[in-house]
Amino acid sequence: MPTIKISHLYKTYAGSDGEGTDALEDISLEIRDGEFVCVVGPSGCGKSTLLEIVAGLLKHDSGSVTLDGVPVNGTSRDIGVVFQSPSLYPWRTVARNIALGMEFSRVPKAEQEKRLKKYIELMNLKGFENKYPGQLSGGMRQRAGIARALVMDPKVILMDEPFSAVDHLTRCTLQDELVRIRQEEKKTVLFITHDLNEAVYLADRVILLSPRPGRIQEEYTVSTPSPRSRGDEYLNHLAARIMADINRGSREEAPEYSI
Amino acid sequence: MGKKTKKLTWISVLQILTVAALLGYMQFAVKTGRISKIFIAAPTDIVTKGTDLAVSGKLWPHLLLTLQEVLAGYALAAGIGILLGFLWVLFPKLEKYMSVFCSAIMAVPKTAVLPLLILWFGIGFQSKVFLIFLFGVFTILYNTVTGAKQCSEDYVKVARVFEATRLQLVFRVMVPAALPSVFNGLRLAAATALTGVVFAEMQSAKAGLGFLLSEAQNNLDTARVFFIIILITLISVGFVKIIQGIEYIVCHKWRKV
Repeated sequence: MPTIKISHLYKTYAGSDGEGTDALEDISLEIRDGEFVCVVGPSGCGKSTLLEIVAGLLKHDSGSVTLDGVPVNGTSRDIGVVFQSPSLYPWRTVARNIALGMEFSRVPKAEQEKRLKKYIELMNLKGFENKYPGQLSGGMRQRAGIARALVMDPKVILMDEPFSAVDHLTRCTLQDELVRIRQEEKKTVLFITHDLNEAVYLADRVILLSPRPGRIQEEYTVSTPSPRSRGDEYLNHLAARIMADINRGSREEAPEYSI
Repeated sequence: MGKKTKKLTWISVLQILTVAALLGYMQFAVKTGRISKIFIAAPTDIVTKGTDLAVSGKLWPHLLLTLQEVLAGYALAAGIGILLGFLWVLFPKLEKYMSVFCSAIMAVPKTAVLPLLILWFGIGFQSKVFLIFLFGVFTILYNTVTGAKQCSEDYVKVARVFEATRLQLVFRVMVPAALPSVFNGLRLAAATALTGVVFAEMQSAKAGLGFLLSEAQNNLDTARVFFIIILITLISVGFVKIIQGIEYIVCHKWRKV
C-alpha cells in the first residue's frame, strides 16, 4: 500500500473578482513507503499548494489525500514539514527551536533532551545549540529547520524548496546530508524544488507539473543507485530532458496567454 | 550596552564649553542684575533652592505623590493596552466593534478632557491617574496590535504543523513575536506619562510636582521653577531608561536593543 495516495485532487483559489484561479487540476500521485519524490515545475504551477494540501495546512476542493489509507484532515504528527524559509522563532535558541514540536505535544523533558542530542548531532549543529537564529548562517538555520521536523520522527517529510535560499556550495552540502539522513532514517520524502539538477540528484522519481493550472505533465524514474555522482551523465541527460519538456509544456500553453 | 569609553573629541570639548559658558553667563547676568531673576535663575540659586526643598522635607510628599500617580496610571495603561491589543488580534470582531470608539477617543486632545475628569474624579489622585492612563493607553494598544499582527504567517504555519493549541499559539508564538513592538509602545508611553501628570497637577491639585511648580510660578520663584523642571525631566528620562532596561533584560539575547 502506498504511504501517500493523492487522487483526483483539485484546488481553485477564490479571486477577489469572483473568478477563481485554478491551482491544481486532477492530480493523482502515489508515493511508496520510503520513496523520495521530487515535484518540479515552472513558478506558479502549484507545487507549494500541493505540498500545503498534503501537509494539511490548506483545504482542497475535491479529490482525496490519504496517509496510510487515512484521509488527511489538517496537520498530523506523522507528517513533518520543512519550509522554504526555515521560520525559526528568533526568541528561541536553536535547541529550543528544534524542540518546539516536542514542547507543544508535551513530550517529557528527559525524552526531549535525548532526542535533541541525537538530531543536533545528525544535522551537524553541535556547538550551536544555545545560539539564536539571528546568529546563524542561512545554511545552519535550514539545518535547524530540518532537525525541527525530524525530531518528531514523522513518517513522511514534506520539503518546500528548502535549499533555495542558500548559496550553491552550502546547497550541495545540504543535499548530501539529506541523502545520508534519508538512508539513516528511512523517511518517505516529498520534495518540492525548481532546481532540476537537485531533483534528479535526490529523487527516486521526479514529477513534472505543467504551468497553471498544475497538472502532472510527466513522470521520470531515476534508477541510478545511491550514492550518486554530481557529474553522472545519465542524471545530467535526464535533467536536460526535463528542461526540454518544461519548455515544450510552456510553448503549448502559450496561446492561452496571448492576446 | 558595551563598556564603550567615550572619546573626548574636540566636539565634546566644545559642547562642554558651550554649556559652561551658558551657565556662567546666567550666573553672571543674574548676580550683576543685568537680567532680572524673575526671568532666569543663577545656577547656584537653583542648587540652593533645590537643596532647601529637599532638606526641609517639603519636596518629598509631592515627589512621592507624583510618582505614585505616574506609576498607577502607567501600569493601568500598560495592562489594559497590552491585554486589549492581544484580544483584538485574537477576536477580530472585537476590534471591528471597538476600534471606531477608540479612534474617536484617541482623537480628542487628552488635556482637553481634564475638566471632565475633575468633575468625575475630583482634583485628587484619581483624575491624575486617569489622565495618565488616557495619555498612554492608545500608544500601547496600537503598538501591541501592530506587533501581534506582524507575527509572521510563517511562524503561525510552523505552529500549526506542530499542532499547537490556541493557548500555545498565543503565549509561545504571538506574544514573544509581538514583544519588540509592545516595548516600543511602552517606551513611547513612558515618555509622555510625565507630561500628563504635571499638566493636571498644575491645573488643579493640592499636591504633586506640578502643584509645586505652579506655586513657585505664582511666587515668582524662578529658581525653584528651574529646579522642578530639571527634576521632572530627570524623572521622565529615568522612567524611559527603566523601561529600556526591562526591554534589555527580556530581549537582549536574541535581538539588539
